[in-house]
Amino acid sequence: MLVFAASDKGGTGRSVTSANLAYQRALTGDHVAYVDFDFGSPTAAAVFDVPGAMRGTEELGLHSYLEGETAEPVRIDVWRQTEHPLLRARPNQSGRLVLFPGDAGGGEFATGEEALERCVDLLLKLNNEFDVTFVDLSAGRSYAVDMVLDATAHPRMRNVPFRWLVFHRWTRQHVIAASGLVHAEHGIIGGGVERGHDEDDLRSAIRFVRAAVPDPESPLWSQGSTAQATWMQACDEALRRLAAEHRIGDSVVLGIVPLEPILQWQEQLITEEDVLSTQIANKETLEALEEIARRLTDDTHWGRL
Amino acid sequence: MAPRQSTPPVVLACGEIRTCLLPARQALDIRSAAQLLGLRADERVLLSERPGLYARSPDTLTGVDCPLPSANGARVRAVGTVTAHAALTEGRVLQTSAYCRMPGTGPDQRRPWGEYLVRPGVVEPLGKLPREAVAQGVLGGPRHGDLDVGLIADGLLTRVLRHPLLDQRPPFRSRPTRLRWAALPAAPGEGPSLERFTLAEDELRTVRLRVPEGTPGTELAALCDDLALHDWLLTTVVRMLDGLRLGAGAAQDAGAVVRTLRPAVDHLLHLWMPGARVGRELAALWDPLEERPGFTRQWQALVQRIRDQLTLHAIPAAHREVEPAP
Repeated sequence: MLVFAASDKGGTGRSVTSANLAYQRALTGDHVAYVDFDFGSPTAAAVFDVPGAMRGTEELGLHSYLEGETAEPVRIDVWRQTEHPLLRARPNQSGRLVLFPGDAGGGEFATGEEALERCVDLLLKLNNEFDVTFVDLSAGRSYAVDMVLDATAHPRMRNVPFRWLVFHRWTRQHVIAASGLVHAEHGIIGGGVERGHDEDDLRSAIRFVRAAVPDPESPLWSQGSTAQATWMQACDEALRRLAAEHRIGDSVVLGIVPLEPILQWQEQLITEEDVLSTQIANKETLEALEEIARRLTDDTHWGRL
Repeated sequence: MAPRQSTPPVVLACGEIRTCLLPARQALDIRSAAQLLGLRADERVLLSERPGLYARSPDTLTGVDCPLPSANGARVRAVGTVTAHAALTEGRVLQTSAYCRMPGTGPDQRRPWGEYLVRPGVVEPLGKLPREAVAQGVLGGPRHGDLDVGLIADGLLTRVLRHPLLDQRPPFRSRPTRLRWAALPAAPGEGPSLERFTLAEDELRTVRLRVPEGTPGTELAALCDDLALHDWLLTTVVRMLDGLRLGAGAAQDAGAVVRTLRPAVDHLLHLWMPGARVGRELAALWDPLEERPGFTRQWQALVQRIRDQLTLHAIPAAHREVEPAP
């Protein structure tokens, strides 16, 4: 299965959350690919902690591949090449976790038919090899989003299942923007239909992930005053109504990732060690990630409403 | 320039093979295989049904003019053509294979293109060929810009995989493998020998051979295609079993075990026929591999394991899920 990770704005936690989902799937035994189509600001190498492996790959990444300059994009075996001490001890019974980085310094670019064919070649190859392939897309209605909408409408891809995750933060502006990315006239659905996707099929393959959501009940806020707590509750209520009005209400939410202090400081994978042993991360965060990772392939959370 | 009458004897042959599962729900029958591999309108696809279904495309030629890879940094330019073909075994395993042969010396300057075209599959060095360094360079992996027969094999694979006959629904997930090979001349009077077979990275294998002078390139390529096919079968079935959580009390249900192993039975177990398409002389090179590590021995152990697992899961769960007594 292909999973496209999209967001309207930067800073929504799209990359770090989807990398964590990839990690969680690999822990359960799936072979997982993580494809960095975040042209312009590739962050995956930092999240997986593979800076050393990235050296010397400037011209061998996904840009060069799509532009036909290299036959195969470089792959980084995360378990083997990470500098993160916990990840290097690959957990027993885990699947492979392979990162396909973008080229360092490559920005957005526009190319034609041949780049699309090469994109289709790559996605098919990955789908034949990996159980789940995450594709991290640049924010907004970017070239990367257009390209995968084109690719998934291509006749050669007709039998390849795919799903979209749209990440947004839990604020007025982010809710409106995320809805626009999907539902606006030339949004993901509109753009997909223009390219030959079936509107209902596409809609039923899109779910939302609310990231960095403050939980009013969380001990993080327990020091606050009663007035603050009441205000937060009211805001949360108002946002829920706003989300529902914008067609991104609870029924199309795959999961909610709570506000996690360590992710505010550093983009990283949340391991069991971080929760149990060093206790720098919250249990709720890890549980939320595990649950979203599980729901990705649980059909009861997908389909028409 | 007067055309040359002949080239000096070949002192190095090298190639690379890509092997993968055909991405189609059903194995292709012989007619569809011929369609898939009909790369050229003017030449027919080679088809054979004994001892198994096998189809091989006509050869394609790719012109090259670039430095040769070398282990010691020597920069030798070479010009000529690389031969490539695609092959399908039992309508199920797809291979593309590219290779070329190199004489010990070539003209000091580039000759008119026509002279290279009359020697298909031959790449001639400008000057003398440092064959040992080039052989090592090929096996170690060419640098960007060097002659890379793997790229040619990969390009052909991409082309075949775009064929509309393929529904892109493989019966199970698997990884493609690459096998690089280089063959140097054997000592006079000696027969062919396999110097080294290594599993380099996860999906890369390298093979170093010695062969008597005059061994045809097609026979060498056939041997290496055969090694690559069987290595891929072993690798794929090993990984299939690796993915299983076995034993009493394993979280996995019986259905999962059967679902995982069934594709091996449906699509792979009957493909094992080492040496079946290799000339008699070169087929002897299978012997050292059979002795150690023992390809067929490992294969039979895997087959037995799969059959045992399937038998075990045919037993009703009540009798199967007995915890072993201490």
